[in-house]
Amino acid sequence: MKTKRKWLAVPGFLAIAATAAMLSAYAGASSSEGNSPAQPIAFPHTVHAGQLKMNCVYCHFSATKSPDPGLPAVGTCMGCHTVVSPAKPEIQKLAGFWSRKQPIPWVRIHKLPEYVHFPHMRHVNAGVACQTCHGDVQNMKQVSQKNSLNMGWCINCHVGRSNPPLKARYDCSSCHY
Amino acid sequence: MSNKLKSKSDASVDSPETSASGVKRRDFLKVFGAGTAVASTMVGCTSESVEKLIPYLVSPDETVPGVSTYYATTCRECSAACGIIAETRDGRAIKLEGNPSHPVNRGALCARGQASLQGLYNPDRYRGPMVRKGGKLVQVTWDEALKVFRDKLTENRANAANAVFINRHESGNFPGFLNGWLAGMGMPAALSIDPDADYAAISANRQSYGVSWPKLDFSSAKLIVSFGADFLDGWGSSVSQQLDFADARAKIETAPRLVYVGPRRSLTGLNADQWINAKQGSEMAIVQMLAGSTTVAQAAQTTGVDAAVLVGLQKEFAAAKPSMILAGGNGPAGSDLCTAVNALNQAQGNVGVTIKPAEALNGFEGIDSPSQLRAVAQRMQTGAVPVLMVRGVNPAHTMPKSSGFAAAMAKVPFKVSFSAIPDETTAMADLVLPDNHSLESWGIAEPVRGTLSLQQPAMDPVFDTRSTGDVLLSVSLLPDAAAMAKDYRTHLISGFAGGANALAAALPKGVTSGSSSSPTPKAAPAAIAPAASSGTHALMVYPHPVIGTGAGANKPWLQELPDPVTKVAWQTVAELHPTTAKALGVENGDHVTVSTSAGKLSLPVYIYLGVRPDTVAVAAGRGHVEAAGRYAKAGSNAFDLLPYAEDKSGAVMFAAARANVTKDGGHTRIATTEGSARQHGRGIGQAMTLAAFLGHAEGKSEITEHVSAGEHAAQGEHAEGGHEFPGDASHEFLPGLRSPTANDAQGDLGGPAQKSKEKGMYAPDHWSGMAKRRWAMTIDLARCTGCSACVTACYAENNIPTVGADWQGAKVLPDRTGFGSNITRSREMAWLRLERYYEGGEDGGADFDTRFVPMLCQHCGNAPCEPVCPVYATYHSPDGLNVQVYNRCVGTRYCSNNCPYKVRYFNWFGYGEPNRPQYAFPEPLNWQLNPDVTVRGKGVMEKCTFCVQRIRETENRAALEHRGVEADEFTTACAEACPSRAITFGDAADEKWAVAKLVDDKRVYHVFEELNTYTAVVYLKKVNHPAGGAA
Repeated sequence: MKTKRKWLAVPGFLAIAATAAMLSAYAGASSSEGNSPAQPIAFPHTVHAGQLKMNCVYCHFSATKSPDPGLPAVGTCMGCHTVVSPAKPEIQKLAGFWSRKQPIPWVRIHKLPEYVHFPHMRHVNAGVACQTCHGDVQNMKQVSQKNSLNMGWCINCHVGRSNPPLKARYDCSSCHY
Repeated sequence: MSNKLKSKSDASVDSPETSASGVKRRDFLKVFGAGTAVASTMVGCTSESVEKLIPYLVSPDETVPGVSTYYATTCRECSAACGIIAETRDGRAIKLEGNPSHPVNRGALCARGQASLQGLYNPDRYRGPMVRKGGKLVQVTWDEALKVFRDKLTENRANAANAVFINRHESGNFPGFLNGWLAGMGMPAALSIDPDADYAAISANRQSYGVSWPKLDFSSAKLIVSFGADFLDGWGSSVSQQLDFADARAKIETAPRLVYVGPRRSLTGLNADQWINAKQGSEMAIVQMLAGSTTVAQAAQTTGVDAAVLVGLQKEFAAAKPSMILAGGNGPAGSDLCTAVNALNQAQGNVGVTIKPAEALNGFEGIDSPSQLRAVAQRMQTGAVPVLMVRGVNPAHTMPKSSGFAAAMAKVPFKVSFSAIPDETTAMADLVLPDNHSLESWGIAEPVRGTLSLQQPAMDPVFDTRSTGDVLLSVSLLPDAAAMAKDYRTHLISGFAGGANALAAALPKGVTSGSSSSPTPKAAPAAIAPAASSGTHALMVYPHPVIGTGAGANKPWLQELPDPVTKVAWQTVAELHPTTAKALGVENGDHVTVSTSAGKLSLPVYIYLGVRPDTVAVAAGRGHVEAAGRYAKAGSNAFDLLPYAEDKSGAVMFAAARANVTKDGGHTRIATTEGSARQHGRGIGQAMTLAAFLGHAEGKSEITEHVSAGEHAAQGEHAEGGHEFPGDASHEFLPGLRSPTANDAQGDLGGPAQKSKEKGMYAPDHWSGMAKRRWAMTIDLARCTGCSACVTACYAENNIPTVGADWQGAKVLPDRTGFGSNITRSREMAWLRLERYYEGGEDGGADFDTRFVPMLCQHCGNAPCEPVCPVYATYHSPDGLNVQVYNRCVGTRYCSNNCPYKVRYFNWFGYGEPNRPQYAFPEPLNWQLNPDVTVRGKGVMEKCTFCVQRIRETENRAALEHRGVEADEFTTACAEACPSRAITFGDAADEKWAVAKLVDDKRVYHVFEELNTYTAVVYLKKVNHPAGGAA
């Protein structure tokens, strides 16, 4: 009987190890940290948020009042750019979208799965800087995802390990419903 | 408001492109052959496919992305014209609630009203105007369609006086506008038809009171006797009647007793304290008996009811003043019955007291008799009608085949339909000019005289449809066309007192004072009396409580909603009494052929205690033709059985013929959501008699004595007239919630003394208040009527998929087992279901009591589902929710096996995943999905969340406004819709909330309390009013 058990233990252990390897690979693969796709217009956050020090909320207008941070309407861009640098090639692309009455198909970078609910306004109003999650966007010529946005990364702050410590709720249904 | 220029969150449509960088999760899964993991909608860790963020071109002023905008408008699903608040998110209507300022529905909304959204987003809707070319309807441009329309009208100008316009009856502005247009074209006024309205009753009311529908003041009555008047099933204005009825019954000491007379117990009948199962068509004898013009013996003989029962009713009727006598007019001589009942009310002094013509509902004013349609059919048959125009009604279906309407319609050279959704009538049309849905339209209704209910578009049209008002204006051939309004909205504003500014000021509230003109009802043509009819059984065809005569059949929520009485979904059944079924040798699901002189149907049998042994009852509304779309064809069309006959008022008789019923050997598994109609002593739906209630009130026995109800009866403590409460479980009765605060994630079962255990997830003084709250719900069974509006509201709020009987519109899986695959195998997903139990009547007698129990996750403080989950996908939140975490769930179903309430639902086929054959939300039904609630994928357990998304939304709103959540600031979707106001939700640990008081009511009980589950859903016992009164 004893030998038989041993023989079972070896493949059993191997199976567990393989499963663990798969699961950890799976967990790693679920993050798109570092993702930095090219955008239809090479919008420089470095100029707007960096040099000009425009407030993020000027364009992402609903970040303080909605779960959704808001994306500037093409009209908002044209509000300045009918006057500011209309001759630059990227601005001409913008003007092209505007004159064709087409919205700009920005490529989404930061995306949480649909079973997670992330209310932007709760975070922004609690004093969490945009950069805490999105990285130093004001220094990015092309925006890339700086953080994993995985659950463990979220929880880290929620249990008060952030600096300064902000104690938030961390039971599952705070975000998952 | 623009739905073309989408904002980011409503345009999150997966693009087929793949990302340029990184290993994608889906690819990874493919590599490892683990492709069966939760997929599609629920998947998706970060950027697995490239999504686009689509901005607005120009930001709309009023909306904030991700935050709902609300528009007050008017429901047009029935003639009552309730007020609704349409919740829109990023330009799409996602949920309808009742408008609390509206005088008719006062914030409640029925299942049909909720399902209005599925009319708006119906996948079978016409995409644009259609013209018949080569025998088929093909889509064309509006210019082309309008040219055809204009040409045909010009062509028939000389014969315009013979044209016919059939319009769906509505109150308010449109009928006057339409008749003005028709008059200008030289055409006769439109026929204003509502196939769901009880025309015989309306005609009798007009005669007796001068109004079509008096207000029924249930709370002033001591006794209500209903002769087939199904005031909770869609007879009249069901929401307002239900609100008033529930309020009356909730004042328990003075609540009216309800006696229902008729061959079948409808939903109203099941809510009655007593059922007098008179033969079909014999109700008049009882009315005469009560009026004193016939003897009890004669009445007993005519009706087939025991004389002692009638004597009891007679005595009670004489003593109970004021009372309320109501009659429905579907039977033979319906209008005579209604007129006699009105006279009886007059004699009893009820008019002006319980029946108030002075406060009449205006929604039914101006309705024309259905016999007008038959008269039109006769003219069409002779070829005298050159042009037929139909808007919003479907006479080819609602007029029985034996009326010859559909056949005659084929002879009209040019038929125009303005209906937006395909049906039998549009299938025959030569030109379809689809109207906007009511949620896309401007309009004004007048639900109560002197009060206008405003209708404004909640969103841009989903498809290329146009409002009929605009269409008529654009083809006007009038010489002064230039002088007419440029569109219907302008016309509306020009007729509104105070003009555009006043309208804009009134719109946010949705109601304002003012009046409109109702069309004058046309004199009904001479009626066609019924031919002598013979058969083994009386045939009773009745409008389905939620599908009506057929308008609801194309909405999957309404098809899936189990009939409140039979609990059958998606099917048409023949209801037979147990003794009749036994005599025929049939069981549930065995087919019988029901045949009359007009036609025959083979229908599965549903054995129903509440139908007379000599009667077969079949619900109308289902069984549409193929052309009416994927959902409407379910079931059979009961109208095919009706030999055409009219009451003398001009109403079509639904319940007057006889039929032969024979076993035919077929079998269909019944798509029912009911496990058993009996409680088997488990005390799920508990009741007490009025005597017992009053006994408690006088302190005769203290509820805290922990003596079971059964023992009370055994000890003879009840006053005379009380009897044992069948269905009561004999266990101890503990009022209130056992754990007023649950301050740890496992659920603190202790009393206040143990409140501050250290194992809590959050400190007791955590800023979020999580450790102090206890979300709870009370359901008052004395109010609940079983109407099931809560169920549809839950479907709408929580993205619950419809699954179909054994198919989702079409058969998608081979049925290898013979059991079907969905509801027939109990795979319905209704997080909230309405259980219906009978007590008594085991001998087949008419004396049985019904218990309606809305059953949802009980959010147990000590939940059996939680410890058995191997992956902690379900846990107890500190504020008292039993939470299901979809992304943790691996689908072992252990939780469901361990749940004593059967309220956990497993997603078997990926109903929420667009790439699956059983996808429940084909485009554009998916536009309705609530963005705040995850759409669940295959292999995941799901259940009631106590609308946690509403809790979070309210917390977020409160945080934005730097305040705490206020008492009764919000409620769950079921409670918000409930037209009986039976459901109360809130924080039971904070006495400011209404629910905190109700959990300590003396009628409270917990279902399966003996299991020590410490449920957060608390029921209040139903109170029965047995014959003989409380004394």
